[in-house]
Amino acid sequence: MNIKTALSTKENVDEMVSDIAGQLEFFDAEMVLFFASSAYDPRSVSKKMQDSFPMARVFGCTTAGEIGCGKMLDGSAVAMAFTGEAVKDAKIEVVEDPRDEKAIRAAFASFESYYKAPMSEMDPSKYVGIILVDGLSGAEEGLMELIGDLTNVTFIGGSAGDDLKFAATHLYANGKSYKNGVILALLQPGVDFTFIKTQSFRNLDKTLEVTKANEEKREVLEFNGKPAAVAYADAIGTTVEEAPKHFMHNPVGLVIEDEPYVRSPQQFKGDSMVFYCGVMEGMELSLLESTDIIGDTKKAIAQAREEMGGLSAIVNFNCILRTLELKQKNLTKEYGELFSGVQAIGFSTYGEQYIGHINQTATMLAFK
Amino acid sequence: MAGKIRQMIDSIINQRAKDNPMLERVIKTKLILKGINPAKFTLQSDDDPVVIGKLEKMMQELK
Repeated sequence: MNIKTALSTKENVDEMVSDIAGQLEFFDAEMVLFFASSAYDPRSVSKKMQDSFPMARVFGCTTAGEIGCGKMLDGSAVAMAFTGEAVKDAKIEVVEDPRDEKAIRAAFASFESYYKAPMSEMDPSKYVGIILVDGLSGAEEGLMELIGDLTNVTFIGGSAGDDLKFAATHLYANGKSYKNGVILALLQPGVDFTFIKTQSFRNLDKTLEVTKANEEKREVLEFNGKPAAVAYADAIGTTVEEAPKHFMHNPVGLVIEDEPYVRSPQQFKGDSMVFYCGVMEGMELSLLESTDIIGDTKKAIAQAREEMGGLSAIVNFNCILRTLELKQKNLTKEYGELFSGVQAIGFSTYGEQYIGHINQTATMLAFK
Repeated sequence: MAGKIRQMIDSIINQRAKDNPMLERVIKTKLILKGINPAKFTLQSDDDPVVIGKLEKMMQELK
């Protein structure tokens, strides 16, 4: 076994770290990825985790809920350890301002120096990036766009959460805690890997064209030449007053080859509509309706398993809005159990990254 | 000169995808997420300086 997971529900940081380390004792970890509730004191989590795995590269972030050992939980910590056979090499860079283009480029220059290859030439079937970013930064779109310009290597990941407090998320690396920023980890896996992107929505074929937007603020002022709130409410078939009740079940999506890249509504602001994700003028968004998260996720994992000829491990970046919907429908047990056949960890994110920044999606890195 | 956007899109896709259909899909998705839908531009399409600016930035990374 080259990838192994651990889960702790101990409330005290020392006990949690000791619990995780105990479960991974005698496992020759080269790299440890962990996700921990923001309830654990961020000033000590990172150092204690790194101290427990002194020979490994240890990194992670805070969450809005954890997924591990076949369960969906809150207030816990999950970890995934990789041997040198599972991950031949890994380089971790921390950029403390995710909007700092110069610093991102410097991180990529560091990757190039480390792996002795230009990022623009790296084979995306041999390298993969994990990205963990401050979920309160609002910087994910620009960051993913820049990364996408710099390399064909896929960076997949999630926006760190803080248990729905929306006060401060934390990223963990190098034994330190970072309140803002982004962790970029470039891995050279020793096993085959693939990506799963799954979102459970039906396209209602009602187009909302962004005719006026404040892109920096993720705010749509007008859809189809009408005030955004009015146009959205009309498309749903309800009043502006009632429309916010539909946000979770009726987001919008940029549909690319029949696959939605979801943009979730956050709130109305007067007649405007603020989203959790980038919306650009000229974008033609489709109104969506939620369907079957359990069925769709099960199918997506099965498809990946079939394509790869087997799956041994999954890292799941699962949108908090999906988690909330699963809680609403009393389906968290069923969702957790979808991952019980493999070594799997994940967390409830404030956004997901795969090619771009998206919402209400589970983006997963899956290993054979 | 009309059609510049189409030419730039085709150049980016060719250079970055190198005939790999999966990469081609990813690059097209990246373009659409930037607000540039390749399907909407032909050799007769008018030049849009904002779109051209975005594409020029992408092309600079290829050098």
